[in-house]
Amino acid sequence: MPPVSIPAGRACRDNFGEFGKQGLPDEQQRARRRKPSVHIKDTQFMSDNANEIILDIKNVTKRFPGVTALNDVSFQIRRGEIHGLCGENGAGKSTLMKILCGVYPFGSYEGSILYNGRELQLEGSSIRQAIKEGIAIVYQELTLVGNMTVGENIYLGKEPVENGAINWEKLYSGTQNILTKYRLDIQPQALIKRMGVGKQQMTEIAKALSEDAQVLILDEPTSALSEAEIDKLMEILSTLKEHGVTCIYITHKIGEFFRIADSITVMRDGKIVTTEPTQALSSEKLVSLMVGRAMKERFPKGNRHPGDVIFEVENLHALPPEHTDREVLKGVTFDLRKGEILGIAGLMGSGRTELVMTLFGEYGKITQGTVKLEGRQLSIRNSREAMMQGISLVPEDRKRHGLILIQTILKNISLPNLDQFSSWMQIDAEAELNASNQFAKSLAIKTPTLQAKVDSLSGGNQQKVVISKWLMSRPKILIMDDPTRGIDVGAKYEIYKLMNDLAEQGISIIMISSELEEVLGMSDRIMVMCEGHSAGTLDIADATEEKIMALATGVAALSAGANADASTTVSSIA
Amino acid sequence: MSVITSSAQTETPSLAKRLGANLQTYGLIGAIILIWLFFTFTTGGIFLSARNISFLFRQMSITGIMSVGMLLVIVTGNIDLSVGRLAGFVSVIVAMCQMQLWPRLIPQLFPGQDPLDFVIVTTLLSVVIGLVVGTLFGIYQGYIIAHLRVPAFIVTLGGLWALQGAILIVTGGQTISARQEAFLSIANGYLPTWAGALLAAGVTVFLFASMVLTRRRKLKYGFELPSMVLDVLKTGVFAAAFVFYVYVVNQYNGVQSPVLILAIVAMVVNYVSNNTRFGRYAYAIGGNREAARLSGVNIRNNLFMIFVLMGFLCGVAGVVLASYVGGGTPAAGTGMELDVIAACILGGASTLGGEGTILGAMIGALIMATLTNGLQLMNIPNEWQYLIKALVLILAVYADVRLRRNR
Repeated sequence: MPPVSIPAGRACRDNFGEFGKQGLPDEQQRARRRKPSVHIKDTQFMSDNANEIILDIKNVTKRFPGVTALNDVSFQIRRGEIHGLCGENGAGKSTLMKILCGVYPFGSYEGSILYNGRELQLEGSSIRQAIKEGIAIVYQELTLVGNMTVGENIYLGKEPVENGAINWEKLYSGTQNILTKYRLDIQPQALIKRMGVGKQQMTEIAKALSEDAQVLILDEPTSALSEAEIDKLMEILSTLKEHGVTCIYITHKIGEFFRIADSITVMRDGKIVTTEPTQALSSEKLVSLMVGRAMKERFPKGNRHPGDVIFEVENLHALPPEHTDREVLKGVTFDLRKGEILGIAGLMGSGRTELVMTLFGEYGKITQGTVKLEGRQLSIRNSREAMMQGISLVPEDRKRHGLILIQTILKNISLPNLDQFSSWMQIDAEAELNASNQFAKSLAIKTPTLQAKVDSLSGGNQQKVVISKWLMSRPKILIMDDPTRGIDVGAKYEIYKLMNDLAEQGISIIMISSELEEVLGMSDRIMVMCEGHSAGTLDIADATEEKIMALATGVAALSAGANADASTTVSSIA
Repeated sequence: MSVITSSAQTETPSLAKRLGANLQTYGLIGAIILIWLFFTFTTGGIFLSARNISFLFRQMSITGIMSVGMLLVIVTGNIDLSVGRLAGFVSVIVAMCQMQLWPRLIPQLFPGQDPLDFVIVTTLLSVVIGLVVGTLFGIYQGYIIAHLRVPAFIVTLGGLWALQGAILIVTGGQTISARQEAFLSIANGYLPTWAGALLAAGVTVFLFASMVLTRRRKLKYGFELPSMVLDVLKTGVFAAAFVFYVYVVNQYNGVQSPVLILAIVAMVVNYVSNNTRFGRYAYAIGGNREAARLSGVNIRNNLFMIFVLMGFLCGVAGVVLASYVGGGTPAAGTGMELDVIAACILGGASTLGGEGTILGAMIGALIMATLTNGLQLMNIPNEWQYLIKALVLILAVYADVRLRRNR
């Protein structure tokens, strides 16, 4: 194979974005790059090593009773590259990663995997062995101990011990070394549970790197991150690349591949569709390869005609449930019309989730301000009262807050709605089954039976269960907090279509999302939150990413409800 | 997630999978049969004698009644350590009523009349007082746990100590004996043999009738039916077990009254846990408390009622205990909570909450009672009985953990 030439000065990936496959001219690139330019010497080092194949997957097939998860999968990953892995849920990505990590040991699959030229032979349940070999994975759900510090987590299980006691100086200096080496901006003594998700993830990555990982697998790393934190992550990955670490990057956010990946492998139904360098692909092509059909648009066109205002929130102030005087909501004002989709955008920590949870009655205490539904003032003290008034909430974390994983789909869907088919003596099992079936079918939940346990479903289907459960309570207002998080492209589309249908039927939807594209693609209006208060509301016709970000970061301020050009007013917000 | 093709959606789950859901229950039943066979063998058949079986079931009824309440407590993810002492306290109070309250009160209220004329009424009143005392304690603990949000472990631990002190205060360290015939018959009485036989017939009819009704309902909703053979076999086994039980105890004296009480309690609570919103919410709270809260479940009310129910059932158990023993002893109920909790866990309840059945708890209680009874028959000293029980409990839970992991 001829050496892949990497043009001088482009050792780290840049944000090609809308500038197409050619990339920016070198001058502009250097100006855009946040790091000093890389020497030719380093580039040469990269291009020599780029030849080496670190992982050679050959004809791997993995069967389960009744299902073939991987079917004759073959592709190669070069040392030091960032290799994107792309595919819908069920395509086989996690199965393949589980093989690489030792969850499925050597012998439980057909075919062979060459790692650094040697056959990878991991014993059963030997994740430890995989880590020793240098293959580490950072999951979507973080596996850190909240009550411990960064250093303690990184060295968990391998604390430096002297004479039976932990050598804390060694531990923390070792931690600082790793953090400095990979330019991770976190304090070794910081407590995990006090950190934002972005920094927690950095800790996870540091933990993997502390084991001298040669291959770092990142599974949906950005699903819980804000835009700023995503930028940080991209920087870190570039740094890793400089150090020769190979990354396998799995995500549902197509755009990220084009920011960071050198080549992309597309999987579908357990087979490899193709492996190509990123330059040879485009978003549309990638999506159509993934789903096997062309997808005209990511966001279905709605046919909504929003009516009158039915929900008004005025100058809402609230305290969080912990005993503190610091307000979590510092003046939120917005309104919602019947049958419209109102997007709520904002940085992580701006209080979006706290806002909707407070409106739902399950967070904090309202100290000031009014909430009116159809002209009547509301005072909601818990989720039951919210439901009675016609407000439902699909929470951000479906596994922790939205579902009872050990129970069946049926029981999950009916839980808030048991009043509809019970007297005080008895639940009418048939009515319950009928109603749940109806909703499961209309949302197309993929399952052989409603008696299946919810934890056996894919993320998209789990989310549909949560949505069904709240649709059954016939809400007037459906609040959805990050409804498509961690869900593959096909399922996302289904949920968008569903949202359109619901809005057309007259249900008003409040949608919180961290994906600007999603907010712009689905909303009729966008309310932007910044540091606990509403920074302004934009009509979709006038909204752009820049305006939203300007409001979200507090660079610009709009008076509540007014449409204005963000660049005209510049005032500082605390 | 693995790919599920459309054909798989109509595929019937394998036999192993279908049985697997109930594997735990069947495993328990298998375990009981094995243990019974073991003891029959080692005691030369005495274990299976009518007299002993009658004794065995009577012995399990007290912890059985408490296990019914405990199961729901464990399902919500909580625990109640005070149940043994509460039953003991109730037994002491009831004995006091019988021996000290009525003999003084009746002559004052109805001078000149023979106190013995009122025996039925006073016994009933003593029972009611016992139930009220248990329920009140349940209200007290329930309030602190559910409304004040103090962890159940601590509250009930404190309750245990408080009751310990209360018993000593009330009894002054002495046993209060209460041996009125009417009173003793609560725990030592029998159903006439014809009534027992009628009951056996009735239960059999009921079991087969509900099997037929369930099949019909499944058909109506397009669920694929389990094979008729399997269904009949399953129902037949349960019915046969019940008939066998009645047959055996009828040889001795008939169905024991406390077992009847236990059966009624178990059936009522079983119905509640499976068919009412209250029961559904309890499982939801144990399964995922946060999700339950965000789904409109009133956790406070539900938890409160569960502890009130527990208190009530301890009251029932305390009444039976007093009647069984013939009075209230200072040591009444000591250590019973361990048997009760073990029974629930053996029966499949998860310590984390969200899982567990009344039927399982009953089988667990039967296993614990069997162990006590069998080891006693084998003349194994008390100390060793503890060790063996501990071993059985740990092995059983270990086996369950392994099974769960491989499922």
